[in-house]
Amino acid sequence: MKNRIEEIRNRKGIRQEEFARLMGVSRQTISSLENGRYNPSIMLAYKIAKYFEMTIEEVFIFEED
Amino acid sequence: MYNNKKLILSIFWIVLGAVLLGLSVAEVLDSSIYAGMGGALIAIGVLQVARNLRYRKDTEYREKIDTEVSDERNRYLRMMSWSWTGYVVVLAEAVGVVAAMILGKHTVQLVLSYSVCLILAAYWISYMILKNKY
Repeated sequence: MKNRIEEIRNRKGIRQEEFARLMGVSRQTISSLENGRYNPSIMLAYKIAKYFEMTIEEVFIFEED
Repeated sequence: MYNNKKLILSIFWIVLGAVLLGLSVAEVLDSSIYAGMGGALIAIGVLQVARNLRYRKDTEYREKIDTEVSDERNRYLRMMSWSWTGYVVVLAEAVGVVAAMILGKHTVQLVLSYSVCLILAAYWISYMILKNKY
């Protein structure tokens, strides 16, 4: 699943470490999310979308394999 | 992560290790394995106590450990690692059963066969429990 986390995070000027701390996950998790190597749980996706003041669909791009 | 229960358990390992080491030195237990086991238990216990105390005193370390433990990707990786380990062990043992059969090592073959059955039974029981839970 693709996402716009890196783009939105950079636009807001937040570093990965800080964003990870705010989301209660490790920096590696944020890195893996941004690279599309790891898909988040619905709880984390919701938390990220809420932090960005967006909907989940605006942050995460669902693509059927 | 590190609580009083874990601290007590760590102290228990140290005491148990000291008892094993003491009995081995006093030659009550006639094997160096017990001395080694005792030493290892003491080392593990001391390490755990040190970590526990650091966790209580150092806020930064506490945050780091809490994040590592609760991080969902880490939990996922741990789960996947156990899953892969299970597959590898069952497959290796199944190969071992065939190899032992060819080599005529019947005791080894029997032990490995029982082990495969035990793991598969544990998998089936876990599946049934989880199926009812989720």
